[in-house]
Formats: sequence, C-alpha cells, structure tokens
Amino acid sequence: MVLRRSMQRQRARLHPIVFRWDLDKTYLKSEFDSLRQLVRVPFEKAQDKVAVPGVGPLIKGLRETATQAGREVRVHFMSASPPQIAKAIRQKLALDGIEYDGIVFKNQLQHLVRGRFRNLREQVGFKLTELLKSRPDMPAGAREVLFGDDWESDPIIYSLYADILAGRIASDELGDVLRTIGVDPRLIAEARERAAAAQREEAVEKIYINLERRTPPTMFRCFGPRLVPTFNYFQTAACLFEDGYLTLPAVVRVAEAMVQDAGYTPGSLANSLADIARRGHVQATTATAVREYLRVRALMPPSGRRSIRSVLWQRLKPWLKPKRGSAAPRAEAIDYHALVTHWRAAR
Amino acid sequence: MPTIAVDAMGGDFAPEEVVKGVAQASLETDIQCTLVGDEAQIQAALDRVPYNPAHIAVRHAPDFISMEDDPKLALRHKRNASVLVAARLVSDGEADAVVTAGNTGAAVLACSQQFKTIHGVRKAALASVYPRQTEYPGQDQLALLLDVGATIRCDATDLVQFALMGSAYARHVSKVPSPRVALLNMGVEEGKGGDVLVSAHRRLRTIPGLNFIGNIEGNDLAKGKADVIVCEGLLGNVVLKLLEGLAEVVVDLAGTARRENWRWKLGFFVLANSFGRLRDLTDYTAYGGAPILGFEHLMIKSHGRSNARAITNAIKVAAKAVRDGVTREIAAAIERL
Repeated sequence: MVLRRSMQRQRARLHPIVFRWDLDKTYLKSEFDSLRQLVRVPFEKAQDKVAVPGVGPLIKGLRETATQAGREVRVHFMSASPPQIAKAIRQKLALDGIEYDGIVFKNQLQHLVRGRFRNLREQVGFKLTELLKSRPDMPAGAREVLFGDDWESDPIIYSLYADILAGRIASDELGDVLRTIGVDPRLIAEARERAAAAQREEAVEKIYINLERRTPPTMFRCFGPRLVPTFNYFQTAACLFEDGYLTLPAVVRVAEAMVQDAGYTPGSLANSLADIARRGHVQATTATAVREYLRVRALMPPSGRRSIRSVLWQRLKPWLKPKRGSAAPRAEAIDYHALVTHWRAAR
Repeated sequence: MPTIAVDAMGGDFAPEEVVKGVAQASLETDIQCTLVGDEAQIQAALDRVPYNPAHIAVRHAPDFISMEDDPKLALRHKRNASVLVAARLVSDGEADAVVTAGNTGAAVLACSQQFKTIHGVRKAALASVYPRQTEYPGQDQLALLLDVGATIRCDATDLVQFALMGSAYARHVSKVPSPRVALLNMGVEEGKGGDVLVSAHRRLRTIPGLNFIGNIEGNDLAKGKADVIVCEGLLGNVVLKLLEGLAEVVVDLAGTARRENWRWKLGFFVLANSFGRLRDLTDYTAYGGAPILGFEHLMIKSHGRSNARAITNAIKVAAKAVRDGVTREIAAAIERL
C-alpha cells in the first residue's frame, strides 16, 4: 500500500495536471430551482454569490500541492450560464482568491436568436465539445481530474470525455449515444470530429461528483470506480489526499472551512470521513492518517474509551475485508446506451 | 444535538427500513444517529437512499436478536448483539438514547443490563401512545398507556411509580402541562379492583402535584378523559393489542363491504374521509414508538413492523425526550415521592 501511494506520488510528479470544475452547484451554491430564483441569477452581484463550503480552500490546496511538487498545474472552469453573468462570476472568483487559467460560458443568447431552443437546456453537447475543444491546448501528457455535480449530466459528460480520450468509445457509438441523449446534430458532428482528432491517452484520472441533490451513491456504480460521488468537499479532499493531489495541511484547511461556513462539528467531519472510507473510496489507513492529523488540531473528536475487541476489529478490518482502492480505477468499458437509459429512467 | 443509537438489525424490515428511516432523519434534522449492526449490510442499504453522512455514524455489531429468539438466552450468548451494543453506547456516554424495533423482551433486558434504574424505581415500564377522542380544541389526540408489557404483574408501589413516570413523560413529550392520570380498573369506584388497585388509588390521591382523576373503565379509554392511563403490563398489552386489532378490523370490514355492492361502495365513498382519518389515527408509524421508562437513560421501542417513517419519528421522539430531560424529570418526581 505504501509502495502504491509512493508510485502514485511519483506519477503525480511526472505529468502536468488539469483540474476542471463545473461552476453551478459544484463551485457555486446556485439556487435556480424555481423560476423566481432563475430570474434573479443574472442580477446577482459577486458578493451575493455563495460558494459551496470547502471548495475554495480545496482548489487553492490543489494548486499549492501541485506547485510544491514542481508539477505544472491548470485550473479551468466551465459553466452553462450565459456570458452575460461572466463579470459577476469572475469577480466572485477574485473575491475568493481563486486563480484560474480558463473559464467557458455557454452562449445562450446565440441559441435563442437562432431559434435552437432545445440547446438552451441541453448541456451534454455543449460541455463535451468544449472539453474536447480545449484538450489540445492543455500541456502534453496532462492528466485531468474533473469536478461536477449530480444535478444534470456531469457524470455522463465527464465519463464520455474520459473514454473518448482513452479510445474506448468509437465515433459511431459516440454519435448514437449523443443522439439518444437528444444532442443537437450539429454538436454531435462537432463532437465526433474532435473526438476523432483527439490524442489517445488515459488522461482522466478521477471524476468527482458533488452530491448536491443527495442522489444515492449506488446510482453512480454504473460509471465504474473512476467516478467518485461525494457528499461534501471534505470527503473529496480525503480522496485527493490519498491520490497525492493534496497535502494533509490542505485537507485541514478544507475541514476548517466546513466548520466555519457550514456548521460542521468534529463529530460530523468524523462521520463524513468514515462514510467515504466505508464506501471504499479511501483506504482505512488513509482515513486513519487524516483522522489522527485532524484530531491533533481539534477537528476530530477525541478517541473515546473503546473495548479491546473493538480496537482489534478496527485494526484487523483492513486486512480481513480489503476495500476497493480508489487510486487505480479500472479502465473498464461502460455500456453507454444502457447507462443513458438507466440514468434517465432513474431520474 | 443529541446522539441516538439506532438498532439497525431490529424489526421485521431491518436493516433496509431502519436505515432508510435514519437516512430520512439525517436529511430532515440535525440529530446525530449511530446505526448499530452489520456494517456491510448497513452501508449497502445506505447506498440506495439519499442521506447526509455528516449526521450518521455506523458501529459494527456482528450479532442480532431475532423476534423469535428467547431474550434471556439470546442476550447471554450474543454479547455483541446490535441492541446490546446500542445500549452500551449510551451507558458509555457515546450516545444519549436508543431506538429499536427489535424483540421487546430483549430491548427491556438490554436496558436492565446496561442502564441503571432511576434511584427508587423498582420496575421499568413500557409506555405506548394510542389515539383517543379530544374534548377541547388543541388537546393532544394521543393518550399514554403504561405499562404495556415490560412487567407482567405489579404491586401498588409499582403502579404509583408508573403514574409519576407517565405524568413526567406526557408533560414533556406530549406537551400537556398537567396531565390527567387515571388507573385502569373494572369500575370507577375507589374500592373496586382488589387490594393492589385500591391501595394504588389511595396513594395516588395523596401525591401533591399529580393530577390524579381516579379510576377509568375500558369503555372510557378512547374518550379522552385521561392523558395517562396506568395499569400492569399484562393488562396494558392486551388493551393495546385489542385497540390495534379493532382498528384493523374496522378498516378491513369497510374495504370488504365496499367490494360487496354499489350501495356500500357509495357509502364508503361518502365516509372515505372518516375512514382515512381513522387509519391515520391508528397509524403507529406516525407516533414513533413506546418509551421504556424507569432507567437513567431512554430507549424507544418501535413497533416490530416499523417502516422508515416510524423509525424517523421514533428518532425525533427520542431526541425530544433527551433534549427535554425526561429521565431527569422522572427521577425528580420519584425522589419527591
């Protein structure tokens, strides 16, 4: 296990790394569940916008950790919001002290003017083509970690993108899948063209989905172990620490933000950590390391009086019941036709 | 915020419905829950429902006690049974109360093994709420009946203590400022029912601060005359099961009649609202569960057939009782005796 983590860190040093972030519901706590809230969004000022607890320190920590390791790092944002609100978003990112290398908005006005009303709500075509379009601009051999949410289609978009780059999805199959989803034929053609031109490499290491809607984790099993659904950014931070993308002090800063901004207590942080470990996305040893580091800083409850049997069970459990590791996701083929049907039916 | 240990393996639909109930509580409230039971089964059930992990801890317990198990034997041989581990969490200070839908006998025995009885209390009582008529607007639709099965036979002192415990519980959880307490008897006259009931009646009448209204007969149980009804466990259990069975029969009869001919169907349609109300009133899932009173800590015993809604409500009742210091209140009432 130690050897594997050392190898991960070694690998992490070798390749440039790109962190791509969705904006609404992933970075920002955007409220547009009702028409009233939707109408209010364009008029919101930067200071009115609220970030998801822990996301700011997490992005800063990712950049800092990569820089410390001498690794080239990029942070990109992608939003389905119109460019008309770009100014407020850029100001918000500046207010939060987030450095970024690129940000893309969806030109909704253009779709409206051209009468492409279907494209106003449809995000798969837009996001997938934008991801593929920007890939050649990334440093050679760059690895990517993608962050989205469970509101729309981020899991499908990101998984398709990862499999296109890895050469696991053929152009015809891509076309069929996008047609099933209802993507605009022009965007399908563009996506197929860009997919054909993309360099084949296992570029996407992980996909993190913020369970803002509290979607049951089992819903994401069909996407394979590359995709990690997390309920809060402290859980994401623990996974990223295991993969060598974050240091423990950076994890602490995320935890502190959760306490300060979202009313988390040492107990609720401990519960969150135990949950992500039980779901097999971090190893028991990683969870222990995080727990002990945070405990010293009073961010975890003190260890209570426990029976010898309980202590023994906790020690032996990782050996007796080895859990699925998070660091080396299997490059398994996803049946996208079945997945799209299942995903849509379930939602 | 209180921490409630929930026996994940107890009940006819465990662990799925229990876990679902805890998951729902984690989304609706800030109550911290510790699910006790087989970790793998609990996590598998959690993965299938929306939940907030910040409010849920899991404690592994390899054994569980089924409804068919003999409570005494099972507790002796299964030292790591989920209900026992849950009670142990409370006695160790890691949780504040327990919720279980499992074997009632095992629940009461787990309490007696792990919790100290309140100083002066001789026997524990299992209390249950049941629907009754209301006499004035805003009156609680539920009355408290105890004991309904923790103790088979009681003497006068036990009945007096049950009255004090029930009164303290109703004052806090049912929000009745001065609960009317009655003895279940075969007549309203003071001299009815034999030595135990006569002696209990005489002593209850003299307790200051207790709103004792005398004896109550079976036909007055559902009329809302008393807020707390005291009886021995055997009788209480029979009464409770009779009420449950009666409600089921009425609803079932109405359903059968509806299928018989169009006149009955029409009649049922007209009365549908009333039948719905009757069903709602007798729906145990809305009430959470029955508290086991008399110990320094609280255990809420939910119905064996509890679904997720019943478990969520039981957790809320337990948290409320902890917040309001019900056990402290009972201890104070017993001390004044």
